[in-house]
Amino acid sequence: MPRISVIITTHNRPARLPAAISSARNAADDVEIIVVDDASCDGTAAVCKSIPDIKYVRVDRNQAVAGARNIGLITSSGEYITFLDDDDVRLPNSLDEQIEVLAQHPQAAFVYGQAIPETENGEHGLGYPAVCPQGDIFWQLLTRNFIPCGSVVFRRSVVPAIGLLDDEIPRIDDWDFWVRIAELYPAVAIETPVIIWRQSLPASTQGSSNTVDIIAKSSRHFRRAFRNLPRFARASRRVQRRAWRDFSTNVAEHLAWELFSALRNAAFGNAFQSARTLLSLHPSGLMRLVRWMNTRTIGILIKSSIDSDNIAEAKAQFKRFRADMPRQ
Amino acid sequence: MSKVSVIIPTHNRPALLPQAVESARAAGTNVEIIVVDDASTDATAEVCRSLPDIRYVRVERNQGVAGARNIGIVSSSGEYVAFLDDDDLRLPGSLDLQAAALDGNPQAGFVCGAMIMADQNYQPTGEVVRPKPSSGDLFWELLELEFPVMPLCTLIRKECFPRIGLLNRHVSSIDDWDIFTRIAEVYPVVVIPEPVGLYRQPTPFSDQGSSARAFQLNRVARHQRNLLKLPRAADASPARRRAARKRMVNRISENLIWTAAAKYLPKLQLKPAFANLSVALKLDPLSIVRPGAYEKLAKNLMVKTGLIDRQRV
Repeated sequence: MPRISVIITTHNRPARLPAAISSARNAADDVEIIVVDDASCDGTAAVCKSIPDIKYVRVDRNQAVAGARNIGLITSSGEYITFLDDDDVRLPNSLDEQIEVLAQHPQAAFVYGQAIPETENGEHGLGYPAVCPQGDIFWQLLTRNFIPCGSVVFRRSVVPAIGLLDDEIPRIDDWDFWVRIAELYPAVAIETPVIIWRQSLPASTQGSSNTVDIIAKSSRHFRRAFRNLPRFARASRRVQRRAWRDFSTNVAEHLAWELFSALRNAAFGNAFQSARTLLSLHPSGLMRLVRWMNTRTIGILIKSSIDSDNIAEAKAQFKRFRADMPRQ
Repeated sequence: MSKVSVIIPTHNRPALLPQAVESARAAGTNVEIIVVDDASTDATAEVCRSLPDIRYVRVERNQGVAGARNIGIVSSSGEYVAFLDDDDLRLPGSLDLQAAALDGNPQAGFVCGAMIMADQNYQPTGEVVRPKPSSGDLFWELLELEFPVMPLCTLIRKECFPRIGLLNRHVSSIDDWDIFTRIAEVYPVVVIPEPVGLYRQPTPFSDQGSSARAFQLNRVARHQRNLLKLPRAADASPARRRAARKRMVNRISENLIWTAAAKYLPKLQLKPAFANLSVALKLDPLSIVRPGAYEKLAKNLMVKTGLIDRQRV
């Protein structure tokens, strides 16, 4: 039985897959690599056949990322599990380091670390999240998903307790999974980079309605699912209200950014969508926004509007600033 | 490694569980029994601890039957998987029988057998539900609900799940129909005539009358639209798809009308009768004037009055 199973889900992206696989192999000694090919219709199968020593699982009916990860779970046999995206890269020995940390904390269900964003030109940013909370992170995790999915190593034994990933909530399924684990178990973290996030496009140049979409989905999921988690339901009204307030403030910040960048790109449809989501999220969302508009943020926004080439950098800075914000 | 994994999801039913576990043990020679305790809040854990040689998997957050079955699949090691409800029984030797059928048909996705109906005390009522069609490609039969497959009667090749995905938690209580249809889309099905399970009917409907069935069939009809998007159905001709839709809707609405007419209305159970009729009319406004519903009703009356023998229906 291998110590750790790396589940790599892939869909029509054979170009970067070999790099992801070899990075996973170099990240741990005793590793089982499972490539779940989610109904790719290109050269993915051929590429995988040419790579020795991997478990290749072909899915015939597209299951989306969460479904493919679940299929990876049923085919895996390792004591520890980690997910890796097909275009991300694991840093050497990072899995072994994380397993060691997890072994020292028998109560903890998972260990996570930082991710380094990499732009198309190969430039590396700073590790995200800058501060990695540890221990009981349930309430912090409800506020926002600060855990880079690929950086998590979790115990296989927690899966039966909390269930598999939910495939009805694409793109926030990992957040939902970590929240459900953190509801019952403490987490540990190492504040060093363990993966590299490769960004195919500087995300901010297109006024991405995608982000707005995810935000709308997140707030729906918060209201429908997270509020019904036993631990949330048992908490006092004050704690519940604070959790929702933190979450909605955080989301409002995101939406504000989307709104500004959409306006800058003259994408008025997206801007309207952001504004509408912002208002529907919370009637007093705009008031929150005003309070949050402290000098630093305004500075960043002004800078980005003066220097139009710098919008990607401004967003990175903005993200960094948000990541550094103190959390209780 | 065991040949067959029997997955028994259970929730707050410790009195019945040991019988189900023992029946599974007697049903095959190389069997791994996995009890998935779906967040029970009673003595289930203790009862399971007293059962020898089972794998007990505790689920802390209720996942529903489909979610619990998925967790069972994750924890299983067998080549074949069988689902057993905590209040049903497997017949002795039935798992070996079905495993042999799958061994003999390496292409097949699952094997389906017959089912003995029983009352609350596990006493057979004399009714045996046999799968009608013969082995082979049964995708359209399943899609049209012509061939209802019960999890109790089946043994599934575990290899199927990576290819077509796990059970769908979001269609609770019809997740079995969903998964068997999805398997049958890609794999042939083996049908054997022998009974393999004993189905303990839930609380008798006849006394109380419940609208639950009507609503469930309504959800079945709605979910068929999703299943019609499966590649094989989507690639079929529009006429074929329409026919599948129509056949199932007719079948469901006829069934609802005759149940209302034969069971609920004579006892003046107006609520379930109304539920049945409204769902039937919503699905197919013309069903009320179709002869199909009344044919069955007439047969039923003839059986009741002793005009014809039950076996002939």
